[in-house]
Formats: sequence, structure tokens, C-alpha cells
Amino acid sequence: MKNVIEVEHLTKAYKDLKAVDDLSFEVREGEILGLLGPNGSGKSTTINCILSLLNFSAGSIRIFGEEMKPDAYDLKARIGVVFQEVAVFDELTVYENIDYFCGLYIADKKLRRQYVEEAIELVKLGEFKKFRPKKLSGGLLRRLNIACGIAHKPNLIFLDEPTVAVDPQSRNHILDGIKKLRDAGATIVYTTHYMEEVEILCDRVMILDKGKILASGTTDELKGLAGMEEKITVESEEPEEAGLAAIRAQENVIAANYRNGVFLITYRKGENNLAELIEILKREGIRYHKIFSERPTLNDVFLELTGKELRD
Amino acid sequence: MLHTFHYSLKTLFRNRMLLFWTFAFPLILGSLFHMAFSNISESEKLTVFPIAIIENDSWQENEFFREAFSALGDENNADQLFKIRYADRPEAKAWLQNGEVEGILELDGENVLLTFDSEGIDQTILKFAADEVAQKKQIVEALSQEEIKAQLAAGNFAIDADGIREKIEARLAEEKDTLQTAVSELDYVMIEYYSLIAMTCLYGGILAMTALNQNLANLSDKGKRVAVSPASKGRTVLASVAASFAAQLLGLAILFLFTIFVLKVDFGSHSGLVVLLAVVGSLAGLALGIAVGGLVKASENSKTGILIAITMFGCFLSGMMGITMKYVVDKNVPWVNKLNPAAMITDGFYALYAYHSFSRFWWNVASLCLFSAVLIILSACVLRRQKYDSI
Repeated sequence: MKNVIEVEHLTKAYKDLKAVDDLSFEVREGEILGLLGPNGSGKSTTINCILSLLNFSAGSIRIFGEEMKPDAYDLKARIGVVFQEVAVFDELTVYENIDYFCGLYIADKKLRRQYVEEAIELVKLGEFKKFRPKKLSGGLLRRLNIACGIAHKPNLIFLDEPTVAVDPQSRNHILDGIKKLRDAGATIVYTTHYMEEVEILCDRVMILDKGKILASGTTDELKGLAGMEEKITVESEEPEEAGLAAIRAQENVIAANYRNGVFLITYRKGENNLAELIEILKREGIRYHKIFSERPTLNDVFLELTGKELRD
Repeated sequence: MLHTFHYSLKTLFRNRMLLFWTFAFPLILGSLFHMAFSNISESEKLTVFPIAIIENDSWQENEFFREAFSALGDENNADQLFKIRYADRPEAKAWLQNGEVEGILELDGENVLLTFDSEGIDQTILKFAADEVAQKKQIVEALSQEEIKAQLAAGNFAIDADGIREKIEARLAEEKDTLQTAVSELDYVMIEYYSLIAMTCLYGGILAMTALNQNLANLSDKGKRVAVSPASKGRTVLASVAASFAAQLLGLAILFLFTIFVLKVDFGSHSGLVVLLAVVGSLAGLALGIAVGGLVKASENSKTGILIAITMFGCFLSGMMGITMKYVVDKNVPWVNKLNPAAMITDGFYALYAYHSFSRFWWNVASLCLFSAVLIILSACVLRRQKYDSI
């Protein structure tokens, strides 16, 4: 599989502060790469450097095998960008906004009309075509923002936190649209700090913090890095010391902590972790109300790697 | 480019704030001027008023001034402006304090000293007349020297004084912007309208600034979209600015039509030159907008505020809120109005209206072109060299 983006030793410094610190990675054709990290981790700066919007201090960036520069117009014609900020004209309608930005890429009016209609269909804004942005809800605005960035059918798409502050319905529309773009053959770089979206969408994930890559791989590979396989939560009264000791002594337990009426127990891989725990609870006479098991999340991975939560 | 031009026009014409400042505000202000000044113009126009002249040695030696003011104070002259009383300084000051005269004219060598107790139309007219006579004297002296040098250079050592006088009179007749003509046609209400047009020209800068903001990545999020597209930044900016200029000219056309046909303002007979000055003035406004948009680091709202403040201050100095200000500035800090585009536009219109010669008009047109070129080139250089370290 060809590399669509190749970034080598990218560094972007503001005086003594390194916003991006020696990043090297590639994005493969047809994949969705998730850039995951808390606010200020360097995700948007990395994208702005790749797009030649920002100068960078060191490193090199190649897109479709060619060096990316501010005047690389042939490359830019194949790229679509959806910025974090909604960037549309309040004075134009939904259709006109998409048509204007699409027109920066596509000169042919007839072809553009078709592309604009398809973009409207993709983000499900058909009934709002003649609306001005001020009459749209936050979620609809985000969908318009996306349509403006992808209407020209780019091969490579950057989506920078496209679902920030949107309602669940719009979020589902947006995520469905992104999957359709991928299915149509586009390569996508998706930045977010919503780990659930990354797990749903992304083929590979790169976790960033303080401008550095902490880890990268598939979600399963990343979870493997955290060394945990299962997380069991038990809502119960506080147990006696002996009961707690019995739980901690269970095979495969990594950690067991009780706080605010909830037991949180993390396990290494094991076949009967939940069944064995229930046995121990019975044996020790620990009464519980609810008990459930879940796979670790990327937040757990991030916590393991950095000692802090993604949304700190 | 046509695509960007088309959509830039759409966004400009749908932006209510821009429409207000560019189209509605000048019409409202024009109407207010009309209501406020329509009667004053007739009642106070060129009323003969008393002035005092200090009869000192400088006055006695200055034949040019004596003749000119003698004509302006002549009761038999249809264009009489002043009722002149001659006195020494203490007596003249006493008259001024008692309100018996509106101002005192005194010559100190070649310097003209004017003393007023208050500021108003009469004082402005006296100031204007004195400036005109002094200027005319300089022209005559310069022409005399020029002719004498020419005769000597030609080997004619017997200077033909009558010939020189005839030539000077002919040259002055060519220019025809005689003192009587200029002063008698002074209509201060017109200066208010000229300033209003100057303001409208300069307000067009808001349109240009908005157009620029929408195309540059460090100025707006929409600019980021343009920057990542394959569209050339230069062409996109040019198309947007051209659209803003077209909208600005339309705004001016509406203002002209409104003032001419609704407010019945007479802009004189040189309609082609009036249009030319308005277009060049609009170019200066556009250049100012580009400069504030491109060179000032502030939010879009702050830049709009800065631009409106510059425009209003420029118009204030050029006489929009009171014509005396224009002459005060011209007298005390003349370089200010040489750099003030509102003053250049106002003065250009005034020159067309009050003078038969076009030299002062063309001087203002050239100044505006230079002003525009400097700002546009400076802004273009800065914007072209600009690489973003942060956006």
C-alpha cells in the first residue's frame, strides 16, 4: 500500500516551546488515521504544518510523493480540509457556501453543480439548502463545514475535530459521511479527542501529547500496550480488609481499588476473570448491586502512558 | 477570478453592517446636512462684515495687499466682502473686543497676522481672502522674476516693464482663478458635502478590508480555506478587492444621484472631473482599507473601528464638522492635510467648484494616486512576504 503522506522529523517550535517535536509518521492510501490527544497536544499544529499553512522549524513533508509547499497547487487540488472552526459565509446560503468553496477547486460549472449536490446529500443538508448559516443549529453548521471542505471530491482529507459540540444525531450523520468518504477511496487524517470516535472510525491511531508521538498502531495494538485486557466495575458496600485482600490475590489482577461505592479492578488476559470474581465476592460475603465487565478504552491507554486522562 | 468576484459581491451586498456604513450612513448624513444648512446658505452667504487693518509700515509698503483689500472693501464693488476700518493695534484690538469688527489683519514684513476673538464663517472668509492675496502676490513676484531672467538671458538689458506687466496679466488671466471669483463663490455648505463624499470614498475601505480579511489565512478561518485551496492567493485577493471597489463605486453613484436630484446640490459643471475625483478618492479609501486590513494586527471588529476612526478624524480635519477646522489645519500644520486623503478629496472638489484653473484639482488627484499607490505597494510587499508562524 502506497504512502499518501510521509512526515519526517517534523519540528515546530515557538521560541523555547516545541509544539511539535520531531514527529515522523506516514499515512497509507485508503486508511483513516486518527490523531488522538488532549487539547494542546500538537494535533492541529501538525496538520497546519502538513498543509503548508504554518512554517516549521525542521523536517520534511511529502504528499503523494511530492514535497508539500505553499505553492504546490497541483497537490492542493487533491486535498480537502475541514477545519476545527466553522468557516463559512453568514451572507451565503448553504448551497452557495459549498458552491463557493468548491469553485476554488472546480472551474466547470456543470460538474461543480453535481459535486455540490452530492456533498449536500452526503451530509444530509438537502432540506436546508437555501438556509443561511445563522439559521442552522450547531450540528447542522458542522455538517455544512464538512461539506465545504470535501465537495470537490479530494483524494486526501483532513478532518480536524469535526464533531466538537454537536448533538448525537449530527454526530452520527458526520461519522456515517466520513465512512462513506473512506469507502469511496479517500485517505483520511482525523484528529479528535473523542476516543470513541477513533475506535469506531480509525484503522490506525497515533496518540500525541506535548507534540510527541506517544504510541501508534491499531486500537487493539494500543490497548495491548497498556498491558490490560479487562476492566470490571462492581458497585458494592465497602468490603472488609480480608475481602479486599482476597480480590487482590485473584490471578491476573493488575490493580483493585475501591472509591465512592465502586470497585474498579483491572485484569491481564484471563478466561474466567468475571466468574472467579463473583465466586470471591460470594465467599467473602461482599454484597453488590451491579457488576459489569468492559474492554479497556484508549483513555485507559492514555492514562497508562501519561498518567493523565485524555480530557484533562 | 470571476467566481470569487461574483461571490464577493454577493457577500458584500448581503452584509447589513457594510451596507449601512457604505450606502445608508452617507445618505442619512447628507439629509441631515441638507436640513441643517439649507437656509443658512442663503441668509449668511457673503454678508459684508467689518474688519480692522493695522496701518503700519509693512502695510504701507505692501502695494499688492493695499490694492487687493481696497477692492474687497469698495462699496461700489458688487463683490464687496469687507467694511474696512484702518487703525493702530490698540484701537483695533479695542474694536475687536467690543465686537465692532470681526477680525484684525496686520502685516509684519511679508507675514500676514490675523487676530480673531471667535471662530466662524466671517473669520474663515477673512482668513481665506488673506491667504489668497498672499498666494497671488507670490505668483506675481515669481512670474516677474521669471520674465526678468528670461529677458536678461536673451541679452535684453533694457528691461521692458510694460511688456512684463502685460505678460503677467495675461498669465493671471489664463488662470482666471482671481481672488474675486474664488471668494465670491465660497460656499461653505458645499465643503460639508465635499467632506461627505470624501467620507463615503474612504468608508469604501471597510469593504476592501473585509474582502482582504476573507482571503488571508492569518486573518480569518475562511482565509484558511482559501489558503489550502489551489486558487492563487494573489488572484483571489484581487478579485475580492475588485468586487469591493465595484460596490464602493455603486455606493458613491447612489450618493451623487441622491444629493444632486433629491437634495438639489449643484456640483458645478465639470461632471467628468467630479466622477474622476470620486473614483480616485475611492481608490484611496480602498488602499486605506487594504493597509489597515493587511498591516494592523487586530481582530476584524477592531480594524473596522480603527478604519472608521481614521476616516472620521480625516473628515473632521478636512472640514466636515465645521469648515474652520480645514483652514486652521492648513495654516498651522499644513502637512497634516497634505497626508489626509479626506482633505485631498475635499480640496479637489473645492478646486473644481471655486477655481477656473484645474492645477489645484490635478494636484489633489495626483496626491490621491500617490497616496493609494504607496499604501497598496507597501501592503502588497508585506502580505507577499508574510509567512505564518502562527494562525
